[in-house]
Amino acid sequence: MESLFDLFIRSIFVDNMIFAYFLGMCSYLAVSKNVKTAFGLGIAVCFVLIITIPVNYLIYNLLLKGGALIWISPALENVDLSFLSLIIYIAVIAAIVQLLEMIIEKYSSALYNSLGIFLPLIAVNCAILGGSLFMQERNFASISHCVSYAAGSGIGWLLAIVAFAAIRERIRYSNIPKPLRGLGISYITTGLMGIAFMALSGI
Amino acid sequence: MKWIEKTSDKLSQAFKSKRILKPFYALFEAADSFLLTPKTLTSNGSHIRDHVDMKRIMITVMIALLPPTLFGIWNIGYQHFAAVGIYANFWHTVWYGIARWFPIILTVYVSGLVLEIIFAQRRGHSVAEGFFVTGMILPLIVPPEIPLWILSIATIFATLFAKEVYGGTGYNFLNPALVARAFIFFAYPGVISGDGVWIAGKPDAFSGATPLANIAGSAASSLPGTSDMFVGIIPGCIGETSKIAIILGALLLIYTRVASFRTMISVIVDGLVTGSIFNLIGSTALMQVPAWEHLLMGGFLFGAVFMATDPVTSPHTGTGQIIYGLLVGALAIFIRVVNRGYPEGMMLAILLMNVFSSLIDHLAIQRNIKKRLARSSRARACACVRAKPGRC
Repeated sequence: MESLFDLFIRSIFVDNMIFAYFLGMCSYLAVSKNVKTAFGLGIAVCFVLIITIPVNYLIYNLLLKGGALIWISPALENVDLSFLSLIIYIAVIAAIVQLLEMIIEKYSSALYNSLGIFLPLIAVNCAILGGSLFMQERNFASISHCVSYAAGSGIGWLLAIVAFAAIRERIRYSNIPKPLRGLGISYITTGLMGIAFMALSGI
Repeated sequence: MKWIEKTSDKLSQAFKSKRILKPFYALFEAADSFLLTPKTLTSNGSHIRDHVDMKRIMITVMIALLPPTLFGIWNIGYQHFAAVGIYANFWHTVWYGIARWFPIILTVYVSGLVLEIIFAQRRGHSVAEGFFVTGMILPLIVPPEIPLWILSIATIFATLFAKEVYGGTGYNFLNPALVARAFIFFAYPGVISGDGVWIAGKPDAFSGATPLANIAGSAASSLPGTSDMFVGIIPGCIGETSKIAIILGALLLIYTRVASFRTMISVIVDGLVTGSIFNLIGSTALMQVPAWEHLLMGGFLFGAVFMATDPVTSPHTGTGQIIYGLLVGALAIFIRVVNRGYPEGMMLAILLMNVFSSLIDHLAIQRNIKKRLARSSRARACACVRAKPGRC
């Protein structure tokens, strides 16, 4: 149990998708002009991460990994399909985002309306694909580790973008030197936030 | 006293008009408003609520910082002579402390103020009082053995990237002193952790670990007594050791309402609560440390009084300040107890919560707006029922 919790906290703060790996920076910078839309996008990213990482985990471990196909017949022991993993992850993510969009539209139109364009855009968010690739690289022991990793990364991304949006709303009134206004100050802010997030590294 | 004013006016004219002196106008203006009163007056329609201005607030904070500073100076000397094993009288102790402390504060002020003056001159604003407080706090939260060049780099980094690029005092979202400390902590971990840096001029054989590091290194038996920790006769950062001196400063800050008592109290209360929860779990040596002892160790109290209450980087709403304080307290103890890497978590906890303080403010304000909207629509409905019963 301890390690699940550790993994969760680690992936929120230490291995934060934005501050440690700079993944999903494009939407992080583009959709953080106000807190409300940032929150919508963050929730959508959380949602998709929590679903796609475990699904990709199952696919990788049951179909793609070297010797994974042994459950079909022992003759397939030497088959290694892991070179397919990247393209399959992308397909899975795109498919799941589409499915999710349809399901949410059918059953909860309020959530669908609040997520708006962000839900389909997530299909090309690098944080999502990055999450799946890190999952493969780290060789998680069980699917519950996967879920805790996915939830942690998602919440970390959400926290980062929402805090950043609040700071951007605030520094709109700051007397920033002209050449730095806009993206320049956003990068400096992100770097400083990264220093602050290092507070919990070492757990 | 008239001639002082006259000379100042004359000098001001000279600095404004002479070409050679022009680049130094910001410097002159800073010295002038530091020694005399600020020159700018409100010209129309001000809504005066108090006589307080920025200069007075900053001076109050600096007075509140005096007790920890003075005690810190004495403690540097005391710890040094105790470690070397030489008996020294009071004045020797203080003299040694000053000889150690003065270069540190000089480094901070010179490297920070030069930058501040350059920016003030180039961007046409005046040198703000904010840096005087930052420059006074920063020497208090570094160990006495800090190499001066590292301190200088950290001060320049923090002033430049945490303050000046946002437009100077009042616009920054992170506390510059904390950024400087975090910079040293992550870039040069060796000079601000371990057990060799807390006592100035320490002989190698003498263990100079702080109480927190002692517990983290499971040497809990060598813990100093509670009264020593309360008075502050322990190794540590210069200003954080004496709890009495910090409480004196806190009383002044609360009495003059310069710092928010909400933040202070909620940090301390939540530190106690979180400590007690860890006591209940109690599976490691750090978890068994009594909750109230956490308040006496490391920079917890100093952070709660002087750093967490920074009016610029902490939330501005009352509710926000309470939530912010609760999170700082919990996070500080959490980092101390759970995080193997860092024995001290207070400063990092405050820095992390600085990042979220704008968000906390945003949420508090949104909640308030919602509440008031509901209230006003209820009131409107009531008025409508009273005016035209049966139609609403």
